[in-house]
Amino acid sequence: MLINWEAFLHVFLAAILGASIVVTFYALGLRLLVRGGRPPLVSPAEFTDAITVLTDKQKRRAEKAVAKAAKKNPLSEGQKRLSLVAAFLCFAVCAAAVLGALLLILFNH
Amino acid sequence: MESAALIIVLVIALALFFDFTNGFHDTANAMATPIATGALKPKVAVLLAASLNLVGAFLSTEVAKTISGGMIREDQLSPDIFPPIIFAGLIGAITWNMLTWLLGLPSSSSHALFGGLIGATLVGVGASAIDAGVVMSKVILPALIAPLTAGIIAFAVTKIAYGITRRHDMKADGRDGFRWGQIFTSSLVALAHGTNDAQKTMGVITLALIAVGWQSTSNPDPQLWVVFACALTIALGTYMGGWRIIRTLGKGLTDVKPAQGFSAETSTAATILASSALGFALSTTQVASGSVIGSGLGRRGSTVRWNTVGRIMIGWVLTLPAAGAVGAAAALIVVWLGGWGVAVDAVIAVAIILGLFLRSRRDSVTSANAMSEVADSGAAVKVPRKPEPTRRQRRLEREKAGKGA
Repeated sequence: MLINWEAFLHVFLAAILGASIVVTFYALGLRLLVRGGRPPLVSPAEFTDAITVLTDKQKRRAEKAVAKAAKKNPLSEGQKRLSLVAAFLCFAVCAAAVLGALLLILFNH
Repeated sequence: MESAALIIVLVIALALFFDFTNGFHDTANAMATPIATGALKPKVAVLLAASLNLVGAFLSTEVAKTISGGMIREDQLSPDIFPPIIFAGLIGAITWNMLTWLLGLPSSSSHALFGGLIGATLVGVGASAIDAGVVMSKVILPALIAPLTAGIIAFAVTKIAYGITRRHDMKADGRDGFRWGQIFTSSLVALAHGTNDAQKTMGVITLALIAVGWQSTSNPDPQLWVVFACALTIALGTYMGGWRIIRTLGKGLTDVKPAQGFSAETSTAATILASSALGFALSTTQVASGSVIGSGLGRRGSTVRWNTVGRIMIGWVLTLPAAGAVGAAAALIVVWLGGWGVAVDAVIAVAIILGLFLRSRRDSVTSANAMSEVADSGAAVKVPRKPEPTRRQRRLEREKAGKGA
């Protein structure tokens, strides 16, 4: 019985590489959005609850807190803009990685 | 010849019905998390999952080739006996799939299919008709290794996601942005599901066509109409299955946070897509469950609830032999009664499917029978609401206390 163990190693390496690129760059993008003064939504001090969807009132309060945090941001306007550009670049890397992987599958096929 | 054609039509109909139940059964794997976290509206989520399953089915046919051109040795089989055997195997798979779905038992549609086919072939033809090497390397080993691989990857990437977005000053960390990301990753899971699960039915139909000589053994690629039919059926099943999730929204998923869900889904999609490209026929349910457990362990202070993990594992281990036993029993009827056996099997299958369907209508939909097994996996890891502080947080607290004194 011939078992191609190398193929399992390939799957593991390809999957961990792909997943790491996507998660690292996406998380980095979020971090840079926060740095640039545009956090997607302010999370509570504890972990955000996955099931509770924010009510409109909670959303307004969160947006107010975002605006307040943005005012206190010690970065200059230029630095903030740079962070935002870097954040969107990170998201673009994620999208490119996924697209590349899909094209690779199509190409191999 | 006419009876062969009739059996092939029955095999195709039953295979497509299996494809439908597969989509129906697995919608929750891809879309339960984004619906529960509020990342997507239920209608949009289910429509997206259905469309991407459709697209995924066209991406690669490697898995279909594993089933149609390797697992079972077509040269050892006579065209008279083989289609009824596939028919018996499908009955085993569908019966087990519907039964576990109704009872809310952890199971895998794919392994039900493999179990049914292998069980029926063993009884109907004999062990010589099964290529043990292919079964071991492309079905059994991936089944054991893939959930573990997905779990390890999910563990690592959850650490990365939390590590990069961690704030020590308790200010906004932007982790809510993972909700946006989940739209993207859950779509990838749906796409990956199409590349692996729709292929299995294509493989079975192609196998049947090869068995009666309607397709050459040298060309195990599924024909275009087979690809279209399977892709459309799995998409329809996904769309229909989704409505049950909507009714149970919020009840099934316990403790999966957006960052964790994002990491788990990325790991699931990456593992399935990489495996599909190499023709490994895996269970998307098991991979997704492995990812959810791995990502739970990636959170600080988490511990494993081994009882829950044990229950999930028993379900996985049981699927192959249980579906195999049902498939073998159906094949035995065919062996004993010949052509009449197929008719008896068909009647029994319709009765079982109808019975299970009516039984499911009587029960109210709860998290136990409508949410996926992946939701169970979320409960397999215990995460404290307030985890132990990191070394840096402890140092900052000490400094703060020192300043205060």
